[in-house]
Amino acid sequence: MPAAGLKTIIALSFVLAIGFLLVILSCALYKVYYPLLVVATYVIAPVPNWIAGRVSNPDDFVESAGGSGVLDLGRFCTGFLFVMGIALPAVLAHSNLINIAAMVMSIIGGLLIYGTIVSFGMFFQEEQEF
Amino acid sequence: MEEDRLWKFRKPVWLNSAWARSAGVYSAGALFSLAFYILMDAAVWSKSPLNGSNVHVTFVDWLPLIFSSLGMLIINSVEKARLSADSFSYSGSGVAWKARVVLFLGFAALAGGMAGGVTVFVLKFVVPEVEWPMLGMGVENVVANALVMLSSVVLWVSQNMEDEYSYNLSL
Repeated sequence: MPAAGLKTIIALSFVLAIGFLLVILSCALYKVYYPLLVVATYVIAPVPNWIAGRVSNPDDFVESAGGSGVLDLGRFCTGFLFVMGIALPAVLAHSNLINIAAMVMSIIGGLLIYGTIVSFGMFFQEEQEF
Repeated sequence: MEEDRLWKFRKPVWLNSAWARSAGVYSAGALFSLAFYILMDAAVWSKSPLNGSNVHVTFVDWLPLIFSSLGMLIINSVEKARLSADSFSYSGSGVAWKARVVLFLGFAALAGGMAGGVTVFVLKFVVPEVEWPMLGMGVENVVANALVMLSSVVLWVSQNMEDEYSYNLSL
């Protein structure tokens, strides 16, 4: 894709750094390091989709028995992990394990990180799909 | 396809696109995650210092969600094309019959999970007259089971979209 040049890389890495900054700030300001789990969640969130995309054979998509089911499972797990990244700080904040401000910062930071990962995958995927 | 339409209102066109289908599957996963974390929130809150009462979330509170999730797994694992006995080639050796039995078990587990959630809510929280912040744990149990049900409905509908979609492709 010609649009994805150097500027895109710089912008994406900038956003990624801001996201990590917010998450680490939400941990370090209050000396409670639970919100770091959000980073792990968002890093493994695209993995089920990716695995399912590799497992299912793209040639037999009309014969929708096997491959589409695996694809759906991957999408389901990705949706699960995406909401997990928002729900985990909310659960922690509701039980007073972390601060409300820490919850807000880690949710925003996590969304920035996930947005970076997704847009990186969208911009720089190889043009093999048909 | 147009003649054997049952309903007066036709489905909107955008509902048949591959985009709507994958969005449906994603949101089904999101709803299921929401259900799981709502009950998880009840469990974590129950052991936190905020809970001043003797009421705690135990394994009994998790049991309805386990049954609901099991029912959802069964329902959405059945191949939908095998359900219609109209195509004789598939239903020849009684596959449609088996599919219906399995599907019935799945729906029974789903409805049993919902009923179990309401049962736990009534027997553990309403009858002993638990006060409000503790009552929230029971409410979250019911909401979690309802969300699992909603999630499996969304997943079912979006999997049925797929059939129409691949039909349009193969034409």
